[in-house]
Amino acid sequence: MHLGLIESGNSCKIKALHAKDKLLQKLLDMGFVVGAQIEVVREAPLYDPLELKIHNYLVSLRKSEAELIEVEPWR
Amino acid sequence: MEIKVALAGQPNCGKSTIFNMISGIHQHIANYPGVTVDKKSGFFSVGDIDIEMIDLPGTYSFSSYSLEEKVAKEAIINENPDLILNIVDASNLKRNLYLTFQLLEIGVPVVIILNMCDVARRRGITIDSEKMSEILRCPVICASAAKNEGKTEILDILKKTDEIKKNYEEFKINYDELEIYISEIEKTIKVNDELAISKRWLVLKALEKDQTIVNLLKADNGNIDEIISAQRDKFHDTFDRDVESFLASFRYENADVIFHKCVNETRKGELTFTDKIDKFVLNRWLSFPILLAVIVIIYQSSIVFGYKLTNYTWPVFAAIKNFISDITPAADISQIPMITDMAMWLTNSTIALLNYLPIFFILFAMIAILEDVGYMPRMAFILDKVFRKFGLHGQSTLPLVLGGAFVGGCAVPGVMSTKGISDDRARMATILTVPLMNCLAKVPFYTLLLGAFFQKDMSIMLFYISTVTVLAALIIAKLLTSTVLKSRETAPFVMELPPYHMPTFKGVIIRSFERVWIYIKKVCTIVIAVAVILFALLQFPGLSSEKQEHYNQEEAKALVKFDKAVKKSTYYEKVDSREEVAELLNLYDGYRAKKMGGSKDVDEKYQAKNPDMYKFLVPKADAEAKKINSALRKLSTDRNRILREQKNDKIESSLLGMAGRALEPISQFAGFDWKINVAFLSSFAARESAVATLGSIYESGKESVEAANADENLRPEERMAKNSGYTPLHAASIIIFMLLTPPCIATMIVVKMQTNSWVWMCFGMFFPFVLALIVSSIFFSISLAAGISGLAAMSWYYFILLAIVVILWFVPEKRINWSGGIKGSKI
Repeated sequence: MHLGLIESGNSCKIKALHAKDKLLQKLLDMGFVVGAQIEVVREAPLYDPLELKIHNYLVSLRKSEAELIEVEPWR
Repeated sequence: MEIKVALAGQPNCGKSTIFNMISGIHQHIANYPGVTVDKKSGFFSVGDIDIEMIDLPGTYSFSSYSLEEKVAKEAIINENPDLILNIVDASNLKRNLYLTFQLLEIGVPVVIILNMCDVARRRGITIDSEKMSEILRCPVICASAAKNEGKTEILDILKKTDEIKKNYEEFKINYDELEIYISEIEKTIKVNDELAISKRWLVLKALEKDQTIVNLLKADNGNIDEIISAQRDKFHDTFDRDVESFLASFRYENADVIFHKCVNETRKGELTFTDKIDKFVLNRWLSFPILLAVIVIIYQSSIVFGYKLTNYTWPVFAAIKNFISDITPAADISQIPMITDMAMWLTNSTIALLNYLPIFFILFAMIAILEDVGYMPRMAFILDKVFRKFGLHGQSTLPLVLGGAFVGGCAVPGVMSTKGISDDRARMATILTVPLMNCLAKVPFYTLLLGAFFQKDMSIMLFYISTVTVLAALIIAKLLTSTVLKSRETAPFVMELPPYHMPTFKGVIIRSFERVWIYIKKVCTIVIAVAVILFALLQFPGLSSEKQEHYNQEEAKALVKFDKAVKKSTYYEKVDSREEVAELLNLYDGYRAKKMGGSKDVDEKYQAKNPDMYKFLVPKADAEAKKINSALRKLSTDRNRILREQKNDKIESSLLGMAGRALEPISQFAGFDWKINVAFLSSFAARESAVATLGSIYESGKESVEAANADENLRPEERMAKNSGYTPLHAASIIIFMLLTPPCIATMIVVKMQTNSWVWMCFGMFFPFVLALIVSSIFFSISLAAGISGLAAMSWYYFILLAIVVILWFVPEKRINWSGGIKGSKI
């Protein structure tokens, strides 16, 4: 299951990252490491980017990128 | 003693506020060659220690993928700081510690400053700084720069730099599985002894394939690439993990350890202030009205209110202008010395640009506030989807709005605000499309044309003008990003939405002044240089001898007329020589200019300066003086007419005039004659001059004196409608050209600054010019052939662009710069 499928208000846990190079490094630097917990806060008004809460801060991610993050539901 | 301190931290951690708090305002911006990211230095003293403080750009990490990270890393390698101050956002400790671990490993002593401790306290977060200091073996200071807390503690630490350096021992993290590979590389490679940086850190960075570090090591180790790849592959084969993700996870785990040992959160899970605000600001239905309100506020306060402020600053510039006209050689009836002419031209060009300073200042202050508050990334978040469709980025919103997405902005701050866009391709596309917006200086031009040709349909035309720019910009952005910018790097949209903050007054003021100062410097150097060139192009080769002879005769005629009128006056001996008349005439014109300029005690000054001639300027009850006064008034009118005709002739026969004529065979398809061409060419110096040039060209189209005098009372737009022989269709074509036309010099300078390339600057100049010529030619020729009116043609143009935008919206995006993944798979 990938991050793009998690509904707003729900949380999940990162299982694997399928991004490469620049995107991978960027995601890692922003705290998207295996095991990290993510809460999908909301979708943007036009339904794309997502607003996420990770390590207790807010970050936005396009759906095309969220699809590269493999997650499992949390609780 | 001198010490060098580097200030490092993640974006939004309040680094600049700390920098301002401890260094004072005394600082300068140093641009690293080849990049446009600023490195700021501040110089100040504490006791007998001189401190140079380097403010590095905010970075999340020290990898090599972004410009900021590269600048920050290179500064640390090259500047060799004695101490690193690591600013940490206390309310967001875990992610901030990630960078801290990377800094600790560099091999330079680190001091951690927990900033925004007040915010953290409010959120129920308490940090045991002593424990943290013990675990990380470095000083930890609590501070809150916005409240001016922690200044003395930081300065105390800086005083102890020497002591800290003496007791410093390299910080090492034990990377378990990775250790053998690290030591393997450490053994094989050589490192320049002059580097004050830990060898281990270099190896770690190299293992991450950090290009800056790999290049640095290449000097002593030719085969570094193979060494690194071999160890990376071995690690990957053994543990089935990449080094990058291993290191990231490892650092986050360590950050987690610190977090759990030193932090106590009492209000965990509660909604923060930011969460509550975001509920409204990012709400599906409220976000757009709020965004619109923010834009309207920026507009009102900077463009509208700022424009009002120019009423107060203008007299200052007018006084400068008067001062310069006073000190330059005086005119002799209708012969103006070239040096005077040139001084006035330069003064006018510079003043025209400096006149916008109040607007810029307010605009920059508003941007700084928006940046500080944290609304900027949210603006991008809301609009990203729209802009992405056209190759732009959510972060393009603000530059386009500032450039004048509706009517009345300025491309200079617009282009300057593209700095923050992380996606290089979208950034370039934004830089190239911002100048297409409707800047403030284009407005008088539109008003002139609309007043002359579209009096009845003014509002609908103004609506077209103000919205068609956005449509055109979107289409052009799409065009550019899928052609010349195609190979440019794009960046993923991974953007932090920082917590809302109150901006600090000092920070906002400092940043606005900084940006205004950059603008002034540019205006005063390059703009003046170009103005000189333009002046020369308009001045040479000058009038032919016959023409000159003609004007000499005209002047003689006017003088004879004057002489006749005043001969019988008792004051005749005061005005019976050419010199005296010239002096009186200059006095009269100067007096009128100052009187109209609204300066005070003009009368007293002129009376004191020249009591004899003053009575001719203001005759009061003196009948004899009145006679001279009325003759003088006529002479002044005559002189102005001669000067004007002379100027027009000069323009027509000048190099620029020739260029205008040379363009006529092409531009005729767009309906432009050489006069319009010259106006456009000269408008390059500053948009304002388009109106001025057109105005002066059409000022007197008729030969007879009566007609010229009758024209005198007409407003410029009426004069243009009457004298130019244009139809509304011509005007519409001119407007379309103007909508797409190349940016002014000041804008080109900032394009050069932001792209750091002359090639792109030239492209930014010629591409819109060619495009504008092609579009307006097609527009005019087809409309002419179809026999439709200016308004109808404009409507067609508008709806065709609208249709293209709609079609582009539905064209699927194909580009994605990364591959792999589990797209669509439901595991």
